[in-house]
Amino acid sequence: MSVTILAVCLLAALLELDTTYAFQLTLSRGIIAGPLFALITGNYEAGIQAGIFTELLFADVSPLGAILPPSATICCAITVALSSMGIEMCYAFLVAVFGSLLFIRTERHVRKQRVQLLPGWEERLLQQPGKINRIIFFELGACFLINFVLISLFIGASGAFMRWLQPHIPLRAFFACQFAFMAVPWIGLASLVPEFRLKMR
Amino acid sequence: MKFTQQFSFFWRSFFLQTGWNYLRYQSLGLLFVMWPFLKKLYSQDKDAIPSVVSRYLAVFNTQPVMASFCFGALAKQEEYIVNAPNLNETNEEILEWNAIKRGLSITTASIGDRLFWGTLKPLTLLLALFVWLVLGVHVFELQPENSLPLLYIAAGSIAAFLSFNTIALFVKWEGIKISYTAPVNGCFGLTSFDWNRTIYNAKKIGLVLTVGLILMGIYYYLRDFQRSIDVQFVTRAVIIVFFVCISFITRRLRIPNMYLYLSAAAVFNLVCYL
Repeated sequence: MSVTILAVCLLAALLELDTTYAFQLTLSRGIIAGPLFALITGNYEAGIQAGIFTELLFADVSPLGAILPPSATICCAITVALSSMGIEMCYAFLVAVFGSLLFIRTERHVRKQRVQLLPGWEERLLQQPGKINRIIFFELGACFLINFVLISLFIGASGAFMRWLQPHIPLRAFFACQFAFMAVPWIGLASLVPEFRLKMR
Repeated sequence: MKFTQQFSFFWRSFFLQTGWNYLRYQSLGLLFVMWPFLKKLYSQDKDAIPSVVSRYLAVFNTQPVMASFCFGALAKQEEYIVNAPNLNETNEEILEWNAIKRGLSITTASIGDRLFWGTLKPLTLLLALFVWLVLGVHVFELQPENSLPLLYIAAGSIAAFLSFNTIALFVKWEGIKISYTAPVNGCFGLTSFDWNRTIYNAKKIGLVLTVGLILMGIYYYLRDFQRSIDVQFVTRAVIIVFFVCISFITRRLRIPNMYLYLSAAAVFNLVCYL
């Protein structure tokens, strides 16, 4: 794995914290994360395209209540990283959507596992409430590490697999993926109309 | 409320969701936000701290920006608890505290979800897309081999980032102060903004921008193909119209966009091989 890809993974793990665990300054949004990843790889157009397409595709799922939407950061990171490895954007984006869906499942599992740790933390906090700072920053560090490991593993594995697979993919399949990829902004924009219309008073 | 206290709530509120879990949601984050205030408030009565902490460790879940209204209101009520003259009054104030925590978290979550996630986020996305289109970045069909200036790339992102965060951080900062100083019968300052009208107007703007963007997309598409209307043009036009129509249907059926995209990729592959 090159230094560039490693840097993308590090930034993705950091930005993913912004989704839920820290700040929520929307740095993890596709339209912001995509260009940021592009700054690392140098392919600005791939970054901006990944960002816009991701944001439009996931625009219909909001983090309401305990709903866990697919991660735009992960999707952008995988798309930009695979694209910089020489994978066509239409394939990179398809793999990235699967990757972000897989990431939701892992994230859900992590949150369930945190429930197991909760009684121990609560007991410690009742005796020494000042430990809350340590628990919070331990959690942040743990989340960052988990994110980094998962993203690196997925990008490493899928990148190697796609580099092997790409030369064998027939032209027909390429056009099929290209057409589906081309439809993404239109799917996203069309879904925004009811998003604004349905909730009017 | 002193500036340092308000700043402490504000800064710590960025970590409200750290430790989010399916059992008590943001309880750890709430304690983290309130701890410096509680430590100072109960500096004379350290024996009371475990029971106070256990109240904060109970279930709490709300929208992270609007949570600031809960911090101010809970801090004010906590002061009433400390200053209660006798045990009965203390117990009554604690009951009131629990009611405020529950009621206010639900109300702020409802407003925050509709305003920030349901309206402002898609609205700032549209703003970014418009900025990019105005700068000549063809957001519908970018060609990765074309080179764009870095400033053009950053412009849309910066527009979205600043427009969302200016409003979010303003509400977060003011929410702490307003809810702390507002009278109890003033809904902890929530009535100082006309949330419904704001959301309604923002949605109207969003609808106009979305329709405008679709029309602009069609214009860009037609402009690119002015010179030759061939099979490729017709195929792509049919695909676009088909997806615009079908995404209206899938939205009504509550099928997420990503599944429509994945199905499209699968169907196109099947069609290509038939």
